[in-house]
Amino acid sequence: MGKTAYDGTPRHLLCKRIPTPPFGDWNDRHYVDYDEYVATGGYVALRKSLAQSPDAVTQEVKKAVVRGRGGAGFPAGVKWTFLPPVPEGKAPGDPGAERYLAVNADESEPGTFKDRLLMEFDPHQLLEGIAICCHACGLNKAYIFIRGEYYLQAERLERALAEAYEKGIFGEKCVQNSDANSGGGPRFRVDCYVHRGAGAYICGEETALLEAIEGKRGYPRIKPPFPAVEGLFGRPTVINNVETLCHLTLIMDEGAEAFMAQGVESTIGGPPSYGTKLMGMSGHVERPGCYEFELGIPLRLFVEEHCGGMRNGKAFKAAIPGGVSMGILGTDQYDAELDFDIGRKYDVLGLGTACPTVFDEDTDMVAVARNISRFYKHESCGQCTPCREGSGWLYQLLCRLTDGDARAKDLDLTLELAESMGSMPGTTICGLADGNNFAMRTIIQKFRSEFEAKLKPAFVTATVGAS
Amino acid sequence: MPWITKDSGTINIDRRDEPYLNDTLVAEIRDKYLPRYERKAGALLPALHLVQHQYGWIPHQAMVEIAKLLDMAPADVIDTASFYEEYWLKPKGKHVVAVCRSIACEFCGQPELTDAVREHLGVDVGETTDDNEFTIIELECLGSCGTAPVMLVDHDLYENVKPEQVAEILTKAKAANAH
Ligand SMILES: Cc1cc2nc3c(=O)[nH]c(=O)nc-3n(C[C@H](O)[C@H](O)[C@H](O)COP(=O)(O)O)c2cc1C
Ligand code: SF4
Ligand code: FES
Repeated sequence: MGKTAYDGTPRHLLCKRIPTPPFGDWNDRHYVDYDEYVATGGYVALRKSLAQSPDAVTQEVKKAVVRGRGGAGFPAGVKWTFLPPVPEGKAPGDPGAERYLAVNADESEPGTFKDRLLMEFDPHQLLEGIAICCHACGLNKAYIFIRGEYYLQAERLERALAEAYEKGIFGEKCVQNSDANSGGGPRFRVDCYVHRGAGAYICGEETALLEAIEGKRGYPRIKPPFPAVEGLFGRPTVINNVETLCHLTLIMDEGAEAFMAQGVESTIGGPPSYGTKLMGMSGHVERPGCYEFELGIPLRLFVEEHCGGMRNGKAFKAAIPGGVSMGILGTDQYDAELDFDIGRKYDVLGLGTACPTVFDEDTDMVAVARNISRFYKHESCGQCTPCREGSGWLYQLLCRLTDGDARAKDLDLTLELAESMGSMPGTTICGLADGNNFAMRTIIQKFRSEFEAKLKPAFVTATVGAS
Repeated sequence: MPWITKDSGTINIDRRDEPYLNDTLVAEIRDKYLPRYERKAGALLPALHLVQHQYGWIPHQAMVEIAKLLDMAPADVIDTASFYEEYWLKPKGKHVVAVCRSIACEFCGQPELTDAVREHLGVDVGETTDDNEFTIIELECLGSCGTAPVMLVDHDLYENVKPEQVAEILTKAKAANAH
């Protein structure tokens, strides 16, 4: 039913209260408080959801195919159906029937800045999404896991939460526990808290995030068991990204069709890419910043029409589609469409966070690779040998390459090492190593000549001092 | 790199009679944070944040006190605390200048920015000035790549920073209250 290609209309559905070009000026962004939120249609979706059974809400979300906005693109409604049912005769939160929502607001993937706006300017939209999810899945506590460096955003969330508690969205007299909850589900108290991280990229991985809430080191867990069955404190747990949850407000207010009318169908027989997406553009363009478009917008159009073109009129050389873990788009892939097909069509890991970083013709791609490999070396949690050791070796090899001290065999070794790492080759617990794999492999493959140009010549045999 | 060996064998625990967890801190942890979690250890990250906010870093004695309050082994508290980069287990300068060194920032002027900070303060990344005012660190992506290069000075984010603005920003920070 959706569109086959991007039709050129920019949208501002998630950003409707956050001024974003071409609908408004970035300078007009401000904190939207409870009253302003309600005056502009807020919390209507929550009331509509509560009038329906939890199952009906899950089915509506499942129908809309809201693919996760945190990087993996897994459909939210489907994920929710993995939860075991609330035990017979109990309500969520009763002893033995605790069920949790962990909101992923870690946003640490280099190049990514989108969840921060949703929390800084319009936090009630997120809180409404959380309340809808708690109703649909029967979850009695939500923890918003926000990265430690987001001081302002955590403050704004606390401010919005105080308003929401006062107005009965959460807490003892919450809507789920009142007559508003008329759709047939159980009545129960829902709480929502901010839990601040403390500077570790790996805590964005969903099971590491749970460990961090439990007060432990952020070590990803071996799966199964999956968090839906045994998550936070061993209880059934849903983990969703901030942006994914914000989309629930549109779906439950206007219906799944309204959501599906945005975005595009897959052109390669895969699952569709419905809805709009916040896209934070960074790098060498004239007007970087966070925009919102329907999924499927071609990168070239995004840069040329909305970002004022490449900076100083330079030529496009390469782009990372959505966080460094995704790998790189080559010079001939400027027309790549930003949707969930991108991984299979353009040999990158995937759409990721859809926040592109663009590089112009003067960029040294070996230096790009070196920067990215340093990131992984620094952020590997150290549980798996290929990731812990491999990331260190890759960084050393890339330093040698940037310094012009590498020989041809070093380049081959770099590639071989990169390809051997990751949960897809089956050697590591989490996806951090796959990110490292894709980033290194695609940069070297797509820009091999630049790496070769930095190699030292091969050894030559010479006879010295013959007599 | 949380897996790098910590210098736990050589740590000198400075003990003092007065507890680091004063009544206000204990009350806040006990009344505000503990009820939020099914297990007490859930309140560990918030407790560490509170102590760091109060003292600028997390002394070992404070970790032992937290362990007692949360019914944990002190070793488990240290285990967790040493994993997270944002927790300072050694004293730092009054202000922390954190320059983002990730992808968008490095290619939009971060090297010049770091140099300017270094030059202005006269110390290298990872070091603290002699007057204990500033510590310089480099961090990975701060989630503001559209306005690269960026740096955090204490809790304030500065965007599109030009090297020539560094002096003014740091002078202002020095005048403001330390965190
Ligand atoms: C190393 C690593 C880091 C991740 N970092 C984040 C992150 O910062 N924010 C996020 O939302 N998801 C992150 N993810 C993805 C999460 O594991 C998970 O897929 C996501 O939170 C699920 O939510 P969604 O389905 O709504 O996208 C990361 C995954 C990996 C492997
Ligand atoms: S792949 Fe790397 S980051 Fe992930 S669990 Fe293993 S060592 Fe840790
Ligand atoms: S790369 Fe510096 S803020 Fe993201």
